[in-house]
Amino acid sequence: MILGIETSCDETAAALVADGTILSNVVASQMDLHARFGGIVPEIAARKHVEAIGYVIKEAIDSAGKELADVEAVAVTSKYGLVGSLLVGVAAAKSLAYTAKIPLVGIHHIEGHIFANILSNPELPMPHVCLTVSGGHSMLVYVKGLCQYEVMGNTLDDAGGEAFDKVAKFLGLGFPGGPVIDRLSAQGDRAAFNFPRPLRRSNTVDFSFSGLKTAVVNTFKGRDRATLPLADIAASFQEAVVDHLVSKTLQAASRKDVSAIGVTGGVAMNRRLREVFAEMGPREGYQVFFTRPDLCGDNAAMVAAAGIARLTYGEAAGLDLGVVAHAPLESVR
Amino acid sequence: MRILSVDTSGRFDAVGLIDGHLVLEDFVAEAEGNSLEDIILNVDRVLTSSGLTIADVDGLAVGIGPGFWTGARVGITVGKILAYVTNKPLCGISSLDALAYQARDVRILLCPLVEAGRGNVYGGLYRSEGETVAKEGEYSAGPIKGLLEKIREPVLFLGEAMELHRQTISEELGPLASFRDSGGGRRGSAMALLALSRFERGESDDALSLVPLYLKEPLAQALLAQERKRQAQ
Repeated sequence: MILGIETSCDETAAALVADGTILSNVVASQMDLHARFGGIVPEIAARKHVEAIGYVIKEAIDSAGKELADVEAVAVTSKYGLVGSLLVGVAAAKSLAYTAKIPLVGIHHIEGHIFANILSNPELPMPHVCLTVSGGHSMLVYVKGLCQYEVMGNTLDDAGGEAFDKVAKFLGLGFPGGPVIDRLSAQGDRAAFNFPRPLRRSNTVDFSFSGLKTAVVNTFKGRDRATLPLADIAASFQEAVVDHLVSKTLQAASRKDVSAIGVTGGVAMNRRLREVFAEMGPREGYQVFFTRPDLCGDNAAMVAAAGIARLTYGEAAGLDLGVVAHAPLESVR
Repeated sequence: MRILSVDTSGRFDAVGLIDGHLVLEDFVAEAEGNSLEDIILNVDRVLTSSGLTIADVDGLAVGIGPGFWTGARVGITVGKILAYVTNKPLCGISSLDALAYQARDVRILLCPLVEAGRGNVYGGLYRSEGETVAKEGEYSAGPIKGLLEKIREPVLFLGEAMELHRQTISEELGPLASFRDSGGGRRGSAMALLALSRFERGESDDALSLVPLYLKEPLAQALLAQERKRQAQ
């Protein structure tokens, strides 16, 4: 039984996982606190993690009906995220590993999202190509096997979720932008505006969102918000993002000998993204596996699952484990 | 009662270990990075050199600042999880209280100072009282001159931020001011001894809810409040 801890951004999370089964999955979200600033404020995130971390860990153990003594290992997100946030989770994890005399393992945040997909779909074949996209990253990864990665594409500027946030902010729709644009788009015409599809002629499978965001802003800058066709703009913008994500993912998959595509991360909750993947994937010969909605956002069950895999390979961290804000996604040693 | 203390809220990381009023260990080292990598190794070093394990400790003390908040958050998180796992009582100790306590033998006014960034300081005024020290008034956070205006008698300045403001202090207070720089000093054992006196009075802090002694709101929050005020006018 392994305890996972995740504090890389604005969610304080802890979870207990055993044999591929999630026994508890506790997430304390700070979203409401950051909403009034229109984005994540690192100092506030760090303060809130310290307040919540003890309660969240205790709740993960108590709500599973377990005792601290039942915990056999602890996995923690130590790479990729806000330093001030990451270090609260790592400080807690190493204290627990030290006092309970159990193994500690550090996990890359993006590896966590890949494992959220594996945890959601036990039948997911290896190898496969995984699209992972959230408010903090957008990446295409060739997953050769458990903890075996080749990064194929990355965002050149903003993250996918960040583009939703910025456009929502411009349209005065609030924060976070993903869910509100998804909702509003349902009533809009996705062909109303023809926003540019980024990197369309590029051979790379990278992503770019800032030009698309700027195109939206430039089209409607200076216009009275009351006169804007918000639902049409949202739907057309969302369509461009989805088109970009799906086409680059299919392009990446075609370069590898795979039959499956995984779709994970916070943006994987987007309904239009799921719809288009479900239609286009099979048409191009791929089975598409989505992360279950409760594991799309940041959570610790995914970190625990990655931890089990890393420990199976015999990889454990020392008590000197530190944090790294921008670390490459690495395969198991 | 054996008490282990951990403080990573300052320029020096400290780990102290006492058994009753006997100081067993007073480890101090210049803080590296955000103190995260070394903290458990330092705790283990201190316990091991006394032939003890964490299970042999009866109570915990942790530095809650004011000071470097990133480091303070590392130390407090470690303190609260150690207390949670071992089910031992925990006391959060102010860095200013610990600095003043180290000069409890001095009979004049005590003024510990800690860096607050942007030229500001965190400070407090204390007097020795028997075997300990008592704080007079509230902690202060802001420009040093605000704190100096309250002082009209001989005073001993202490702590890491003292050197940065030595000239201003001398200009404002002249011969009233004296200085003692103890570096990291005996901050670890001072915190443990302060915790001991609180435990002896039957006091402790709730480990899970313990947070740093922030004397200011986050900058973003302050700016937002200013902006709202401006818009309201």
